[in-house]
Amino acid sequence: MNPKEIVDQAVEYGLKLGAREVAAAVTREKRKMLKFANDSVTIVQSWDQTVPTVYMLSERKRAGARVENPSMDALKEVMKTLKAAMDITKPGEVESSLPKGPFKYEPVPHIFDARIPKMTDELVDLAEEAMKAARAEGARRSSGVLVTSELERQVKTSAGAEGEDKGTDINLSIRAFVDDDSSGQGNSCATRLDDFNPKLAGAEAGKIANQARNPVFGDEGKYRVLFGPSIMAEFLDRVADFATAYSVDLGLSFFADKIGQKVASEKLTLVDDRRMPGGINSCSLDEEGYPTQRTTIIDRGTLKTYLHSSYSVAKYGGALTGSAFYVGGTWGMAPVALNIVVEPGEYSQEKLFEQIGDGLYLTNNWYTRFQNYQTGDFSSICRDGAFEIKNGKIARSVKGLRISDNMPRILQSITALSRERKWIRWWEVPVPVYLPHMIVENVGITRATK
Amino acid sequence: MEDLVQHAIEAASAKGVQYAEARLHIDSGSGVTLTNGKPEPVQLAKAKGIAVRVLVDGALGFASTNDLSKESLDETVDIAYRTAKASKRLVTKPVRLSKEKAEHANWETKAREPLLDVAIEEKLVVLEEIEKNLSPSVVKVDLPSRTLVLIDDISDRYFADTDGSKIHGVASRIGLLFIFTASEPGKGIIQRIGQKGETGGWERLEAWDLPKYVADEAKILGKILREAKQAPRGELDLVLGSEVTGIACHESCGHPQEADRILGREAAQAGESYLKPDMIGHRIGTEAVTVVDDPTVPNSYGFYEYDEEGVRAGRRTLIKNGVIAGFLQNRETAAELGVSSNGAARAVSYDREPIIRMANTFMLPGEYNDEELVEDVSKGVFIKTFMEWNIDDRRYNQRYVGLEAYLIENGQITSTVRNPILEITTPGFYGSVDAVGKTVEYEAATCGKGEPEQGAPVWHGGPPIRLRKVRLGG
Repeated sequence: MNPKEIVDQAVEYGLKLGAREVAAAVTREKRKMLKFANDSVTIVQSWDQTVPTVYMLSERKRAGARVENPSMDALKEVMKTLKAAMDITKPGEVESSLPKGPFKYEPVPHIFDARIPKMTDELVDLAEEAMKAARAEGARRSSGVLVTSELERQVKTSAGAEGEDKGTDINLSIRAFVDDDSSGQGNSCATRLDDFNPKLAGAEAGKIANQARNPVFGDEGKYRVLFGPSIMAEFLDRVADFATAYSVDLGLSFFADKIGQKVASEKLTLVDDRRMPGGINSCSLDEEGYPTQRTTIIDRGTLKTYLHSSYSVAKYGGALTGSAFYVGGTWGMAPVALNIVVEPGEYSQEKLFEQIGDGLYLTNNWYTRFQNYQTGDFSSICRDGAFEIKNGKIARSVKGLRISDNMPRILQSITALSRERKWIRWWEVPVPVYLPHMIVENVGITRATK
Repeated sequence: MEDLVQHAIEAASAKGVQYAEARLHIDSGSGVTLTNGKPEPVQLAKAKGIAVRVLVDGALGFASTNDLSKESLDETVDIAYRTAKASKRLVTKPVRLSKEKAEHANWETKAREPLLDVAIEEKLVVLEEIEKNLSPSVVKVDLPSRTLVLIDDISDRYFADTDGSKIHGVASRIGLLFIFTASEPGKGIIQRIGQKGETGGWERLEAWDLPKYVADEAKILGKILREAKQAPRGELDLVLGSEVTGIACHESCGHPQEADRILGREAAQAGESYLKPDMIGHRIGTEAVTVVDDPTVPNSYGFYEYDEEGVRAGRRTLIKNGVIAGFLQNRETAAELGVSSNGAARAVSYDREPIIRMANTFMLPGEYNDEELVEDVSKGVFIKTFMEWNIDDRRYNQRYVGLEAYLIENGQITSTVRNPILEITTPGFYGSVDAVGKTVEYEAATCGKGEPEQGAPVWHGGPPIRLRKVRLGG
C-alpha cells in the first residue's frame, strides 16, 4: 500500500470510528550512515522505513500514535484502541481544531537532489576526502559520520488539507585529533551535492585540532567570549525549543509570559525558516496540513511568537506557524523548530577577534544541562578547541572549561555577530542551525580543581 | 518471527559473509499524561521491523527495514552486504568478533499482571490518584506546573546469527516520569524532574506507592523554597545520597569503562575516555569504592538475560576496591582487546545497531549507617538529590548541582541549603570517598549514546557515601 492510500484510509477510518477530526501522515525515509573512527570505517548503516502517524480529536479529547508498521491492519487496530481510549478519557483543557483546508502549498526550491540517495561507493570517497583534509592540516586521526537521507512525506487531514513533501540531505561531521587533548570539529550539510564540502569540513576540524595543541588548564572567571557556530548552534537549538508553546506548557521554558518582551540583545534575530531555499529541513507543509512559513521568533531581541500547533493556538492564542509534527512527548502532535536561522551581523570573523581584545574563543561544546528551565540557569562543557585571546590574537590553547551561566543573560549579552554564516548539524545539534560567530560578554567559566 | 530471521541469515550466508545476525522486534508501548490535572493525548507506539548486521572481510554493514516481505528482506540483506563491501577500502582496522558460545534461549521478564491486560482507564486512575495528593493543602507548596506521565512498553525480540545462537526474549517495562515547578511567594521557583522504572508487570506499581512517593517529592520542594540558605563554598566534607552516588557511577565510571569509547569508536559523538586499554589495575579511588554493572538485577529497568549479540549477560565489576577492574565489552572490542565479551551490546529498537551500553550501574554497599556517615563531619554538606549535572566527553571533569541538600554541623544534619555545586575530576571524586553506606537504592533513567541516538533504559544507584575535603563552589 502506498503512502497516499494509507493516509486516505486512515482519515476515513478515524472518522468512521467517530473521531471528529483526523490527521494522518506517512513518512518514508531512506538513509545511509557511514561511521568512521581512527581513520577507519567502523560500520555503514542503511534504513528503509515507512512510518504512519495518526492524530485524532473529539470534543476536547486528543490521541495519537506512531506505527512503525506500514500495514493498514496494524494501523486500524491501533486507531481502534486510540478511539476507545478517547471515549473513556476526561476532556482536556481546551477545544482545538485542525487547520481548515484546502491549502495551496508552494514547493521550496533546491531541497532535492536525486544523486544523493543513489550514493554508496561515493560515501567512502567523500569520507576519505574529509579525513585527508584534516590530516593535511596536522590532524593525526579523525572520527566522524557521513549521512545521506531521502525523505518523502504524505499528509492528509479530515479538515481538507492534503499534500506531500520530498527532500534530500547530506551531512558530515568530522572530529579531528592531534592527541587526546587536542581536537577540532568540522561540519558540512546541504540538500544538494553541489553545496556539500567535506574537504572544507575536514580542513576546519584539522586546523582547530592543530591550533589546540598543548593545552593548559584554563582559569575560572568572567570572560568576553567569541562563540564559534557549533557551540552557539547547540545553545540556539535549545532556545528555539524553549520557544515552542509545548515547552512553555510543560514549564520547561524561560519564555513563559514573555511574548512582546525583550528577551535578548537587539543584535539577535532568530527565525525558524521552513521556506528557505536549500534549507536542510525546508518543507511545504506541517503534519496538520498547514503551509509552512518563515517565523521570526525573536526580532532584534524581542520575543514575537511561540512556535505553534493547532492545540497550542487554542490554548495560548497567536497564529499558526506551520510547526506541528507528530513527535511523541506528552502532546503527540506538537510544535517543533525545523530550520533555525540567525540573521547575520556586520563584522568579518577577523574583526570579531579584534573586538574580543582579551577573552576566550570557544569552538564547540556538549552536555548542556539546566538547573532550572524557567530561570535558565545551566552549565555546558567546552569540547574541542578552546583558546585564550590576548590583544585579538590566539594566545594559548586551554582545556577543562565549563560554561556556568544563565541562558537569558547570555542572550541579552550578545554584542556582535559575524557576516559569514554556516549550517551546523551534528550529534548534539539535531535541528540544523544557520548562524554566524557571536561575541557574548561576561560569560561565567568554571572548572574542576581536584 | 523465526522464519523471517532465518531467511535473512541464510540470504546473508549465501553471499559469503564472515558473520551475519538478524534481529526482529515486535514492540508496543503506551503513554498517558496528566498536566496540571488535565489529560493530555493518550499515545501509542507500535513497531515491527528487522535489523541485519553482516561482517564482510573485516567491514561491518547494518541495514534495517519495517517492510517484512521476503523481497524487502532480501534487499535489506543486500544493502548491508553491498555497503560493507564498498567501505572495505577505507577499513584500516578490520573488525573481528570474539568467539562466544552459541546460545539457544528463551527468556522473559516476569509479569504477574501483564501490561497488555491493563486498560488505559486503569492507567489514568493511577495518575489521578497521584494528582489528588498534589494539592497545596497536602504538599504545602504551590505547583503551578506539574506533569505526570505513565509509560509502559513491551519489546518482543528474536535474534539469530551464523554462529548458531537463537534467542527469543521479551522485556516489559513500566515507568513514571514527573516534571514539577514549585513556587513560593518571594522565594522564587525550583524544578524537579524525576523518574521511576522497572521491568515486570502492572504489579510493580504496588511497591512504588506512587501517591506518597510523588507527594513527598513535591513537599521537599516547598521546604527548599521556604528554608534553604546559600550553600557554603570552599573545602569541606560531603555526604552524597544514593541518587548522586548513582549518577556519578553512571557518568564517571560506567561511561569511561565502555570499551568502544576507550578504543575511540564513539569519538565524534559521545566521545572517548580518559582510560586506555592498558589501565586495568590502575588505582582510581579508595579501597572503599567498588562499582559494578549488572543487567541481571531482578525487576531492574536495565534488565536483560542475553545481549543483542547473543551473549549471556552477567555482573561486570568495573572498579574493585578503588582499582579499575574491567571494561564493558561487546564482541568487537573483546576481540580487539583479547578478552571475552561480557554481554554489554544493546540495541533499543529494530533500527539500531547493537553498541556497548550500561544496564544497571551501582556502587556496592559498605558498612556505615546514615548516622555514622555524618557523625564525625564537623562542617560539611549532605547532597541528597540533584537537578543539573554534566561531564566532559572523556569522563574526567564532572559537575553535580544539588537540589535537596543540607548543612552538616558538628555531626548533625541541620539547615537546608540551596544549589550546592560540586565540580570535581573522576580520580578526585573516587579518591575522596572514605565511607560507604549500607543501603543501596536505584534510580531509573534513560541513557543516551550512539548515532543514531539510542535512549537505553538503565538504573544507576548505590548507597550514600562520604567524600573528605572536596571543594564546593560554583
